[in-house]
Amino acid sequence: MEKARAESILKKALSFSEADEMEAFIGGGSYSLTRFANNIIHQNVNEQRYQLSVRSSFGKKTGRAVTNKFNDADIQAVVKTSEAVARAQPEISELLPVPEPQVYREVDAYDEGTASLSPEARADAVAAAVALCKKNGLEAAGYFSSGMGSLGAYGEVAPLAVANSRGLFAYHRGTEASFSITTIGNDSSGWAEASSWRVSDVDVAKLTSAAVEKAKVSSKPRAIEPGKYTVILEPAAVAELLVYMAWIGFGAMQVQEGRSFMSGKTGRQLFGPKIHLYDDVYNDLLRGRPFDFEGMPVQKVAIAEGGVIKGPVHDRSTAVKEGGQSTGHGLPVPNTLGPHVASVVLDVADGVPFEDLVKGTEKGVLVTRFWYVNVVDPMKVILTGMTRDGTFLVENGKITSGIKNFRFNESVVELLNKIEATSLPVRAGECVVPGVVAREFNFSSGTEF
Amino acid sequence: MKDLALLAVDTAKAKGASYADARLIESRMEHIGTKNGKVGSYETSENTGFGVRVVAGGSWGFASSDDFSRESVQATAARAVETALASSKLQDKKLVLAPVKAHVATWNTPFEKDPFTVPLEEKLSFLFKVDEALRKVKGLAIAECSMGFEREKQLFASTEGSVIEQELLSSGAGMVALAVGEGDVQRRSFPSSEGHFASGGYEIVERLKLLENAERTAEEAVALLSADECPSGKKDIILDGAQLCLQIHESIGHPSELDRVLGTEANYAGTSYLKLDQHKKLRLGSEFVSIVADSTLPGGLATVGFDDEGVPAQKWNLVQDGLFVGYLTSRETADVCGDKNSRGCMRADGWNRIPLVRMTNIGLAPGTWTLDDLIADTKDGIFMLTNRSWSIDQMRYNFQFSTEIAWEIKNGKTGRMLKNPNYQGISTEFWNSCDAVCNDAHWFPWGIINCGKGQPGQIAKMSHGSAPARFRQVNVGVAK
Repeated sequence: MEKARAESILKKALSFSEADEMEAFIGGGSYSLTRFANNIIHQNVNEQRYQLSVRSSFGKKTGRAVTNKFNDADIQAVVKTSEAVARAQPEISELLPVPEPQVYREVDAYDEGTASLSPEARADAVAAAVALCKKNGLEAAGYFSSGMGSLGAYGEVAPLAVANSRGLFAYHRGTEASFSITTIGNDSSGWAEASSWRVSDVDVAKLTSAAVEKAKVSSKPRAIEPGKYTVILEPAAVAELLVYMAWIGFGAMQVQEGRSFMSGKTGRQLFGPKIHLYDDVYNDLLRGRPFDFEGMPVQKVAIAEGGVIKGPVHDRSTAVKEGGQSTGHGLPVPNTLGPHVASVVLDVADGVPFEDLVKGTEKGVLVTRFWYVNVVDPMKVILTGMTRDGTFLVENGKITSGIKNFRFNESVVELLNKIEATSLPVRAGECVVPGVVAREFNFSSGTEF
Repeated sequence: MKDLALLAVDTAKAKGASYADARLIESRMEHIGTKNGKVGSYETSENTGFGVRVVAGGSWGFASSDDFSRESVQATAARAVETALASSKLQDKKLVLAPVKAHVATWNTPFEKDPFTVPLEEKLSFLFKVDEALRKVKGLAIAECSMGFEREKQLFASTEGSVIEQELLSSGAGMVALAVGEGDVQRRSFPSSEGHFASGGYEIVERLKLLENAERTAEEAVALLSADECPSGKKDIILDGAQLCLQIHESIGHPSELDRVLGTEANYAGTSYLKLDQHKKLRLGSEFVSIVADSTLPGGLATVGFDDEGVPAQKWNLVQDGLFVGYLTSRETADVCGDKNSRGCMRADGWNRIPLVRMTNIGLAPGTWTLDDLIADTKDGIFMLTNRSWSIDQMRYNFQFSTEIAWEIKNGKTGRMLKNPNYQGISTEFWNSCDAVCNDAHWFPWGIINCGKGQPGQIAKMSHGSAPARFRQVNVGVAK
C-alpha cells in the first residue's frame, strides 16, 4: 500500500472519531510463495490483504477494533466499534495519552524487483535447484517466497503506517524474499536458507549447493553417545537459541516482574567478555521498520556489552515506571506481553570465516540448525530442542562423518560463557549472528535418524 | 455471495482450470484478557475475504483477495490459474483427486448462548471475579485471565457442483497464576495451560468452573516455589488428560498426517515415523492404546459438517488396540494409503490460506480404570499434570515434555509436590509402555488452539479427548 493511500485511510478513520483520543495502524501487504517437495512444485499461493486497527480512548478507558474492509462506511463502523468497546471498559489507571508526533530514521528496504517477482521467476529458480538435487540423487523440499508489506510468517500483521489524534504519522514499506531448501537422501538431509529485503541477494544456486553437500556428507550417519561435546553451531542454530532467549528475557515487563534472567542483573557480568548483544532493526542486513505499534521510533538497544547486562527493551508503559524513555519496542496497547524484541544482533569483534571454526576444532559436533526449541527453565534460560538436517562429527579440524540427531538441554546463559571462537556474523532469520564454537554443550539423548 | 463463489470457479474453469473451488469467509473474533485486576488486552475484529484454489496444467494454484467486486473475483481466479500453470513447469505427474459426491448443504455448530450477544461488561465482570480470587492467595505475583470467541461463516463452491454453507463457532476461557521467587518462576493454569476452548457458545465458559478453582490454582503456583525438584531416573508415570492431550497431538496426531508422510512438509514441520510400509503393521502402542479421529465429535474444535474440500465429516481409527491402522488424508493423498475417498482432513486458516491436511479431533479411547485405583496400583511413580513445555524431533520419534506440577506416588499414595517435572522418550516405545487408561468418567476433549503447520504458516484448532493413563519406566527429570 502506497504512503498516500495509507495516510488517506488513517485520516478518514481519525475524521470519524468522537473519542478523547484515537490511534490507528494499517498493516498487511502482498505475499507469494512457491513451495516444492519430492522435486516438484506442490503449492503456489498468492495473497493480498490489509487490516485497519483502531484504538479509541475516553479518559482512562480504551478499546480496540479491527477490520479488513476499507470503504468509508466500514472505516466509520470500526471506529464506532472501538469507541463502544472503550466506553464499556473499566479505567486503566496507567493508560498513557497517545504520543506526540515523532521523527524517524529513513530505512531503505523496498526493492521493486522483489515486490514484483513473478510466479514464473520463482518456478524457474526452484526448477534449477531441483535439477541440481536430482543430479546428486537427492530430493528437494522448500520454498521461494517474495512479497511486500508487513505480513508475518503466520499471517500476523504489523504496522505499515501509524497515525493518532495528536498528529503523529509514521510510514514504512519494505520487501522481503526468502529461499529455503531441504535436501533429502536415503538416510540423510541437508538444509540452507536465506532472506533479504532484496531478492538479488538471495543466491539460490549457492544455497542449494550448500544443502546438497550437507546431505551427501551426512549420509550413512553414525550413532554416537549423547553427552557433553564441543559444538560448532552454524548461525541458524545460534539464532534459534537467541530468539528464544530474547522472547523470554529481553523485555522490560519480564524484567520488572522478576521473571527474566536479567532481573536484578543490570551492570553484572553475565556472559563472556566477547559477547555484545543488541536489538538493532537498523542493521544493514535486517532493515526493519523504524517505529513500533504506537508509532514510537525504534532505538538500537544494547542488551549486553562485553558480557555485562545493560538492560532490556522498553515500550512507553515500562519506560514510565523507570522514569526513562521508550526504546520503540511496543506492541498494541493494551497488552499483557510488554515490549517485544524484533532484531537480535550478536556482534563479535574477531569473527573468522566459518570454515576456520571447523579447522580449529579437535573434536566436536557441528550443528546446522535446531528444531522445535522450547523453554525448560525461563530464569536459567534452559532450552531443549533437536538438531536437524546436517549434524556432523568433526575430528582434527575436519568433518569426518554425519551423525544421528541429538536432543539438547542447555542454558543459553551458560552457553554464552563457553564460547571459544566465532565466525563473521550473517543474517539468520530475523537475527544477525555468527557461528560459534562452544565447549561442553549438553546433548541429553539421541533419536532414530 | 453464492453468485460470487460460482463466478470464481466458472472464471477459473474458463481460464483453463480442470478443477476449482472457492471459499468465501466472514469471520469475527473477540479476545479479552485481564492481568492483576486490570484489562490486559482486548480486541474485536472482523475479517472477510475469499480464496480460489485451482488445478490447471495438472498442478495446484491458489490466490486470494479481500475485494469482493466481480472484477476482483475474476482477477483472483485468473491469478490462481496463472500460479498453477507456473507450478506445472515442475511437475512429474498430473494431480488426481479422490472422488467426492457433490453436496448442497448447510451445517452450523450447535450452541446455546451466542457469545457475541453477551455484554462486554458481563464478560469483564466475570474475569475480574476470577482475577480477584486468584490474587487473594498470598505470594501470588501475577494473575492472568482470558476468554475468546470466534465465529466463521463459510461458503464453499466447486466446479463439481458442491455448494456448502457452514457457520463454525468456538468459545473458551482460562486462567494462569504465576509465582515468582528468587531465581524461580512457577506457574499453574486452569483448566489447562492455554485455558479450554471448544466448539459452541458462551455456555462453555460458564461451565468451566474457573471461579471454583481459582484459589487452588494460585495456591499450587505459590507452593511450587518451595517444592522439591522432580527426581531423575526411570519412573512409572501417570499423565493427566491435559498433558496427554499434547502427547497425543505431537507423537501420534502429527505423524498420522499423510502429507507429512509423503514429504510435502519436509522443509518445515517435518516428516513422520509412520511410513507407508508401517500401515497396518506397526505396533504403535500397547493393547490399551486406541486412537480415534473424529470430526463429528460434539464440542470438538475441529468438528465440522464438511472439510475445506467439501468432504463430509467422519470418524475412524488411527490406532486400534495398539496397531497403527489409519491416516489423516485429503482428496489428493487418499489413494496413496489405499483409501478410495478422503477422510476429510483438509482445513485452511482463513480465506487467505490454502487447505492443508490438518489434524481433526483425535482422542485416546477411554479404558477401564478409575484414577484412584490407578494411583493405588502404582508403587513408585510420578503423577504429572498440565503441560508447560513441549518439543519433538521432525520425524516425531524423540519427544520431551515438561508439566506445571507433579505429585510423587509411593506405595499407591500421592505424596510430596514436585516442581519442574519433565519426561523424555521415543514415541513408539512410550505408547507401548502404556498399561492403563482411565475410564470415560475421566475422559475430556481438551482443546488446542495454536497448532502451527505449513509455509506460509497456518494455525488450526482441534480437540484431543483423553483420560489419565499410566506409562511404565519412563525417563524423568531429563533436563539436568
